[in-house]
Amino acid sequence: MVVRVSTGRALLAATLGVGLAVTAQAASYPDIGPLPQLKIDKAKAELGKRLFFDVRLSGDAAISCADCHVPEKAYASKEALSPGYPGNGHFRNASSLVNTAHKNIWNWDGRIGTNLNDMTREMITEDYIMNMDMRIMQERLKQDPLYVKMFKDAGYGEPSNGSVRKAIPEFLKTLTSTGSPFDTGTMSASAKRGMKLFKGKAGCIQCHNGPLLTDLKPHNTGVPENFDVFLDPMNHQAFMAFAMFQGIPNYRNMKRDPGYFNVTLEKKDMGKFITPSLRELKYSAPYMHNGMIKTLPDVVEFYNNGGGKDSNKSKKLKPLGLSASQKKDLVAFLESLSGKPLTGSKYVWDQPYPGEYPVIENWTQVRN
Amino acid sequence: MSIKKIAPSLVAAAVATVVLTACQAQETKMGSAAAGKSMAAKTAQSGPPPLAPLGPPPIPPDNKQTPAKIELGKILFFDPRLGGDASTGCSTCHEPDQGWAWAEDFSRGYPGTVHWRNSQTIINSAYYSRLFWAGSVPSLEKQAKSAAKGGVAGNGEDDIMESRLALIPGYRKRFKDVFGSEWPLIGDAWRAISAFERTLVQRDTPLDKYLLGDKSALTEQQVKGMALFNGKAGCIQCHNGEMATDQDYYNIGVPPNKRWEEDGLAQVTFRFELYAKGMTEEGYRTTKADPGFYFRGKNKWDKGKFRTPSLRYTTYTAPYMHNGVFYTMEEVVDFYNRGGFDEEGRTTGYPENKSKLIKPLGLTDEEKEDLLAFLEAFSGEEIMMEKPAMPEYAPLFTKAELEAAQEAK
Repeated sequence: MVVRVSTGRALLAATLGVGLAVTAQAASYPDIGPLPQLKIDKAKAELGKRLFFDVRLSGDAAISCADCHVPEKAYASKEALSPGYPGNGHFRNASSLVNTAHKNIWNWDGRIGTNLNDMTREMITEDYIMNMDMRIMQERLKQDPLYVKMFKDAGYGEPSNGSVRKAIPEFLKTLTSTGSPFDTGTMSASAKRGMKLFKGKAGCIQCHNGPLLTDLKPHNTGVPENFDVFLDPMNHQAFMAFAMFQGIPNYRNMKRDPGYFNVTLEKKDMGKFITPSLRELKYSAPYMHNGMIKTLPDVVEFYNNGGGKDSNKSKKLKPLGLSASQKKDLVAFLESLSGKPLTGSKYVWDQPYPGEYPVIENWTQVRN
Repeated sequence: MSIKKIAPSLVAAAVATVVLTACQAQETKMGSAAAGKSMAAKTAQSGPPPLAPLGPPPIPPDNKQTPAKIELGKILFFDPRLGGDASTGCSTCHEPDQGWAWAEDFSRGYPGTVHWRNSQTIINSAYYSRLFWAGSVPSLEKQAKSAAKGGVAGNGEDDIMESRLALIPGYRKRFKDVFGSEWPLIGDAWRAISAFERTLVQRDTPLDKYLLGDKSALTEQQVKGMALFNGKAGCIQCHNGEMATDQDYYNIGVPPNKRWEEDGLAQVTFRFELYAKGMTEEGYRTTKADPGFYFRGKNKWDKGKFRTPSLRYTTYTAPYMHNGVFYTMEEVVDFYNRGGFDEEGRTTGYPENKSKLIKPLGLTDEEKEDLLAFLEAFSGEEIMMEKPAMPEYAPLFTKAELEAAQEAK
């Protein structure tokens, strides 16, 4: 189930942004800087952690959130395309979940603009992602005594699918960048030069601004299609199911990812994707919505060439004329935006899950 | 639709069928309801309709049988891609070599789950006017869809299943040939599967032959068993007509399956079903037995009622009852002989709704043997089938087409 969200305000802002770009100075963009601290409820986050890594949250109990959002990859997918649910593939690269709690719009096409509660529900129930009937999920959790205790300790009462949708976002709050040279003021000279280019000649700041280094708005940069989406029927079926459900016209004959067009069904939004954050890029390769660019130097080269080919490409993109050393400096700056890996037991549930559901004793006498 | 409205028409349909069949009429169950009612009134006085030879199955006028449709339906029936993770299709729980059912008490269910009811045979399912143990759907077409989508069954959704069909060239061609559509539509998959299922009928059992005049088709013992069936044992009260079922709903006293007390996974499913099928909060907390027909109208007097199953093909469809608690027909006969109690004295979780038709029968051992022998006469040869070859996925576009599209962006 997907709700096409109204992002009228975001659209207006995007339009204004384009206008500003022509006349305004770089300084008129929200400055890049450290992320705000989030208040975290420990018990809720710990519960969310156990849920995040639990395969019982998928329909056939085969995959967990972490199968597509891999901790070592900054909680993004390992390969260009996310693996998706067993029996199908996927058509996009799973976005990094690091700092996702700081966003206000989710998915590469921006189709969720409410909160992580809704986003969690989307990922768990969507048939090509985790294909979970959340009513079954709830009853699975109630069959696990440790969950019964953890939900209670977290103040949620008995396990419920509503509380799952709160606990996982609480865990996601803990996935906030920490210790990057950019944040700690320990950038190299090269990275500092790169930051100047970032805000100036290279123009990255036009879209990659604010503490997340993204305007969280849709843009078309002309990233080439990943043909594996359409040449591999496993990926293609996930794309088709998605596009059918979203009500995208002529979806069976579509040979491209429509991106933000999915939200508005307006031609001007074809091929636009929400600007990704630039934090934790060190871990999250390959890049772009479809993983088509493998390395950071390649990303810089892509923009140095003025982006890719698309009649709907953003006017902000022009060849940059960066020298070889400038490109190196820019890469150094991008690398300085990555902090410590968010792995290890502080972030990853590393205790075993029960192999089967323990029986509730005296079943006929106790309340369900 | 209210259940109260359905019940009389069900009875009328069941009776009409029997009368029409007896008259060798060409009409099916879909025929005139008015004629059925007047005849029903006449027959009602003379007790339940007698057992009858099975006629041809009713074919709905909006889903005619054609060889190409039946062949397509056969392939789809065996294709696990018509399910959530491409592992669970129709035949997964309706295995030809397990009586076109599943030979455990509960159907196996989707991976990571177990079902909560016994998988019913496909054989002769064409004759039922409503499908599933609580009669929740009115056609095979709707049964196929519900089973493919249910969380503890196929757990598939329309969009992914239809997309899979679109990426299988063999299906694109067959759907176009059969239904004339440019792309396979998931609703047509259910139509084709139903057409295939309407070929899975068995009309040449010893009982059919006997009722058609071949007196040598039943043994002497079976004839004695038939007399008990129609008389002292009272089976005919519900198991009557050509399908040996009145297709009505009864609480006969089947006890809850003990797996709900002993198996955590079964407990998960039990609560899920209460949740998913709609229960009051208190009902969800306290229900410990399958409410069955209750889910249709939420009338408390319907708790523990299930549709009378056909007795045809039962030689191959053990275990028996809606929750598979009896693994042999001997246990079933003993259960009825005790008046609806199992060997431990257990009965339905809703004894207040137990049918008055169920009473201790006082059958002797010899009579039980005779009855068991007769029950064998409801089954002919086992219907076996080789699984057809599955058409394969293939890319819909060529690389050249994708490159041209990329160039044109």
